[in-house]
Amino acid sequence: MIASGYLISVIAAMGIVTFALRALPFVAARWLQRHALVQALGQFLPLAIMTLLLVHSATGAALAHAGWPWPELLAVALVVVLQWTRRNALLSIVLGTCLYVLMRNFLV
Amino acid sequence: MNDSNDPAHGPQRLSVLSLSAPVAMGYVPLGIVFGFLFVQAGASWWLAVLASLLVYAGAAQYMMIPMLAAGLSVGTIALATLIVNSRHVFYGLSLLDALPRRRLLRWYIVFALTDETYSVLTTIAATTSDRQKLLVALLNHCWWVLGTLIGALIGAQAQVALAGLDFVLAALFAVLTVEQWRTKKSAAPLWFALGAYALAYGVAAKHALLLSIVLSLVAGMLWQAKSAASGEVQR
Repeated sequence: MIASGYLISVIAAMGIVTFALRALPFVAARWLQRHALVQALGQFLPLAIMTLLLVHSATGAALAHAGWPWPELLAVALVVVLQWTRRNALLSIVLGTCLYVLMRNFLV
Repeated sequence: MNDSNDPAHGPQRLSVLSLSAPVAMGYVPLGIVFGFLFVQAGASWWLAVLASLLVYAGAAQYMMIPMLAAGLSVGTIALATLIVNSRHVFYGLSLLDALPRRRLLRWYIVFALTDETYSVLTTIAATTSDRQKLLVALLNHCWWVLGTLIGALIGAQAQVALAGLDFVLAALFAVLTVEQWRTKKSAAPLWFALGAYALAYGVAAKHALLLSIVLSLVAGMLWQAKSAASGEVQR
């Protein structure tokens, strides 16, 4: 069981950080629009961070079972192809996860 | 109230519902998965609901589950949230004039400015009333909380999950990666991130994520220097 006090502090911290980020443009729009560094990081970071989170969670999943990471590679490939062509987030996530769960429970 | 009989209100309300419906199709199932995994990780059901009420950020909430299970410090999780949600800073810039002026309304919508609510608000006409905008934001928030509640209650009942169900997280990140990729002119950040993670994993597997995030931050700043320099040349 995770301690409730710890969880409440985490939730409060995450809530404050998320709200601050969403509110920033409304209190400091001029500064953000002028600042080239913020603009460039906005161009570079989101895609880099998402890629890192994807690789990190897929690596974590691969380490949870023996053998080569074929289930992870195949399922991620399915999600990417589906999302690229059909652009339906729910469909991509559900089909990708189903394929992965099937491979993990019946093949690996 | 007989608003529904008022012809001026009917079509507008319909359009708000029809805009929120696709969001519900995504938020309710994803909320269910979040609530389920959160409770399975060893937390109480009401804390899952509290997280969805107060944090209300899908990717960050998914990310917090393994971090909570690993018992990371509040500061580390806050920093990770800052990094994952930093994209939200750029959403507000295009909505500066579109949000209601009235303080409470305005700040609630700012709080509730998720990827999906942002995309709906940028789609609807600027003439849409403040009440309609509030209604879209509020409905979307409700779908997310409702899904979380359902998932948390299921998770509190059933203890054993199928192996690999938490892959839903990787699938969500894959979707977000594709969507980020689509909007960018260059795929360089993606290739850099892959290389950085491989390098960081080779150096210190346990801290691969943090290390590769720092590498990306540095690369983003150098990228800025490069694009600023080419901007000078163009001028």
